[in-house]
Amino acid sequence: MKNNILKKFLLIMGVMSLAVLFAGCGKKTSSSSVKHITYWHVNAQTQGGATVDDLVKKFNDTHKNIKVTAKYNPDMYKGLMQNLQSAQASGKVPDVTQVGWAYDNYFSSNFKYMMPTDAAKKFDGNTKFIDDNFSKRTLSFAKDSKGNLVGLPYSLSTPVLFINKDILSKYNIDESSLTTWEGVKAASKTIHDQSGKYGLYIQEPGDTWAQQAVMLSNGADIQKNGKAAFASSNGIAAYKYYQEMVNSKLALHTPWAQGMDSFIKGDVAMAFTTIAQASHIKKSAVFNASAIVAPHFESHKTVVPVGGSMLAITAQDSEQQKAAWEFEKWMYKAESAVTWSKGTGYLPPTKVALESASFKDYVKENPMLEPAVKTLDNAIPWTSFPKKGLQAEQSMIDARDKILSGSNVQSTLKAAQDKINVEQK
Amino acid sequence: MLNKNKKILPFLYLLPTAILLLVFMIVPILYTFYLSFFDWNLIAPTKEFVGLKNYVEVFTDPINQKVILNTLIYILFLIVLNFVIPYFISLIVKFFIKKMQGAYKVLFFIPSLFSLVVGAMLFTWILNPVSGPIAYLMKSLGMTMPNWSNSGILAITVICFITNWKVFGYNFILLLTGLGSIPANIIDAAKIDGIPKWKLIWNVILPMNRGIAIYVLILTIVQGLQYVFTPINVITTGGPYYGSSNIIYQTYLNAFVLYKTGTSSALAIVTFIVFLVLLFIEIRFVEGKAKNYA
Amino acid sequence: MLKKINLWHVLLIMLVLGAVVPILFMISNSFKTLRDSYTTMLNLIPIHPTVNNYLLLNKQINLLGLTWNTFFMATIVTIGKLLTGLLTAYAFRSYQFKGKIIIYLLFVATIFVPFTIVMIPNYLVISKLGLLNNILGVALPQLCDATGIMIFLKTMEKIPNTLIDAAKIDDIPNRKIFFNIVIPILKPSIVSVGAIFFINSWNEYVWPTLILKDKASFTLPLALQNYISSEGGTNFPLAMALSTIMVILPLIIYLIFQKYILNSISNSGLK
Repeated sequence: MKNNILKKFLLIMGVMSLAVLFAGCGKKTSSSSVKHITYWHVNAQTQGGATVDDLVKKFNDTHKNIKVTAKYNPDMYKGLMQNLQSAQASGKVPDVTQVGWAYDNYFSSNFKYMMPTDAAKKFDGNTKFIDDNFSKRTLSFAKDSKGNLVGLPYSLSTPVLFINKDILSKYNIDESSLTTWEGVKAASKTIHDQSGKYGLYIQEPGDTWAQQAVMLSNGADIQKNGKAAFASSNGIAAYKYYQEMVNSKLALHTPWAQGMDSFIKGDVAMAFTTIAQASHIKKSAVFNASAIVAPHFESHKTVVPVGGSMLAITAQDSEQQKAAWEFEKWMYKAESAVTWSKGTGYLPPTKVALESASFKDYVKENPMLEPAVKTLDNAIPWTSFPKKGLQAEQSMIDARDKILSGSNVQSTLKAAQDKINVEQK
Repeated sequence: MLNKNKKILPFLYLLPTAILLLVFMIVPILYTFYLSFFDWNLIAPTKEFVGLKNYVEVFTDPINQKVILNTLIYILFLIVLNFVIPYFISLIVKFFIKKMQGAYKVLFFIPSLFSLVVGAMLFTWILNPVSGPIAYLMKSLGMTMPNWSNSGILAITVICFITNWKVFGYNFILLLTGLGSIPANIIDAAKIDGIPKWKLIWNVILPMNRGIAIYVLILTIVQGLQYVFTPINVITTGGPYYGSSNIIYQTYLNAFVLYKTGTSSALAIVTFIVFLVLLFIEIRFVEGKAKNYA
Repeated sequence: MLKKINLWHVLLIMLVLGAVVPILFMISNSFKTLRDSYTTMLNLIPIHPTVNNYLLLNKQINLLGLTWNTFFMATIVTIGKLLTGLLTAYAFRSYQFKGKIIIYLLFVATIFVPFTIVMIPNYLVISKLGLLNNILGVALPQLCDATGIMIFLKTMEKIPNTLIDAAKIDDIPNRKIFFNIVIPILKPSIVSVGAIFFINSWNEYVWPTLILKDKASFTLPLALQNYISSEGGTNFPLAMALSTIMVILPLIIYLIFQKYILNSISNSGLK
């Protein structure tokens, strides 16, 4: 009896110590000739995660002296930032980091990074690589409020209006009437009156990207000279339009996942959301789905904030930085960028890739991408306030939620704007 | 030698737990307390001392006030859903039915095996107000489902139901076991005297089962407020306009989304103080036996 | 009388359905195609049943590795919690020492510490110990849990003093009292508490997301996050397939130890 129990106890202790041993052995020793760098990204399996793994594997196979390890960070750019600040606290930062546009000021003022122009000068002797691949407009997306280029644009996205062609044709709605938000409203009314379905859904994630696009397309500014400026008459008019649509049940007001589900099930006729949703819609919708350019208000033109991310070099020592730069340059090759774009649903960031034959063929097979590419010419950087930018974004989210639950548009927007500007000083 | 050994021995037994407690509990709590007096974004090299500002903000900021009110609503809902109802059901299973007691126990417990992430995903799908199975069923009956994600109180209800799905069985079993330990002769005696069942339950059973009941009740509040974190995070992220946020989620939001560690720490300390009051109640009614060690 | 009892059964069966039907929908969706999950929502039995979701999962993620990580973590946590719980409870049960009540209440108080309060500092501790991306880093802070101590102590209190005193008089060493008297009496509690620890740790989500960054070290609940992405669209059938896989082991454990778990905790011991 006694022996038996002792044996069990020893066994348990054995397992425990084995566990510790295992954990200890987990740490790999790196040999000096091969540079190990880590790449942090946000791409879940449903969003190109496998493509990232493929690309990294290909890079590792062709570069014997650099070994890249890709790490997926759950919960998008927010989750990645959380992990990054935790990593900073513990002193183990990644070498290449994918940073969302909304975070560029937060990132540049809190983390150490190497500007891509510095990397190019230091390791290539010139900035030819950057100049050849990126347009001025694209580069402007990746600049912080001081005008520094924080990283290189990596994924680009624009909002588009996805439409359920079956519903539209059933109620005789002409697609060309949907180029203006006024037209979208009229169409929604027709659909709602005749079928009880919702006309429109505008994405409502943990940011106000899509709502900013609606305001911008009514001639409003989100910020002017570093201060929030969205509570202008144009901004207010745009939000009033949105609020009215929701109040009269022409537009659905619900969290993102549910809203997209409703569109895919055919309970909502149009969805204003990121182009990154295209492949999911294509795979799951049973109706005839299509996409058109983001609408604008009458007598204004379409302006949208660009979505997506940049790659920043966060490596600290020169050797690591060099390897990181090498990796980045490879990732921006037209071939890799197009592969990436196919896997993720984003648009490729470089001129070369956008104009490459393989991307053009891809757009031909996936016509939903076409309006998104077109909209890139109307894209402006995503507003990122210089100070307390994340709290500013939260204020805008709060304002959106308040307005959609019935608060007065003018006073709510004004209050949000004031709250942000107090911090900007 | 032997005597000395005897004195050290209990502390030796306590050592592993004590070390863990010190490193992962006590020191962190003190550190959070320290942080609650500073303005810091988690990574900046300097922390700015702000005195009690963060605590003032907890009680004066309208958003935090709303969140505190929500927390009270959550507590109320959680008590009803995760304590009163399981208690009622356990009384029924114990005293009002004879067959299938075992089967109910086995079946009710099954959802406890699931992760709340799975629960949250599953129920957002089932309860999608426009395009979910329930909405479709209601539509075919000519009804429309309210858009619960747009109303704070409805969102709270749904979130509480999701945790209810997970913890109902567990609490049910705990309470039922408590009832099982009540001596049978008391119940039999009452039966012979012809006392009505509900009266017996009210006057005899419930008071006798008070210890375990208060334990489950307090666990319902303390763990419940933390359990709802996952569904809030997956489904509403606290929305609409903090309508479904509670003090735990707000603590997380401030720390890891807005990087206001000061506010976050102050919220955490306030939560902790409230929980300490519950702890006091727990000691009064459940740990009464602790006195025996004096 | 009979009629009344039947009515109670109607209520109970409805509750059982409420508990079980969502699970059936989970399983059913895991065998549907993405399109069918939208179009034939109400069908519990898939029209075009397919195991593709499972095959796809197997291709996209390392299911075996993930399961092993989760198992490994849950095992360490369970064993660790049981050991510390038993030792502590035994110290309280059989010794008198200064500050006993205070120490005991301090342990109990840990149940009342919201996880948010220790999250940031614990992260820093784990990273200083170099245990990021390490299952041990996930496991260690979880060991701080007084539930086991409380339950074991309650059960040990039911061991008659005479039994232990007799042993002490006979000069039987503590170690032997612990292993030969206490542990066997506690066996039902140990099994049921252990099973519950294991299942809870298996499903642990918030803390592992902070510690585990490397895909190779992920646990199953973290892998699930891979399939919930609002930006790329949630692949519901795939997520449900993974959820189904995730619950298999807890279910097996539950079915094996069901008797212990259900008759558990306060009823176990000497009664």
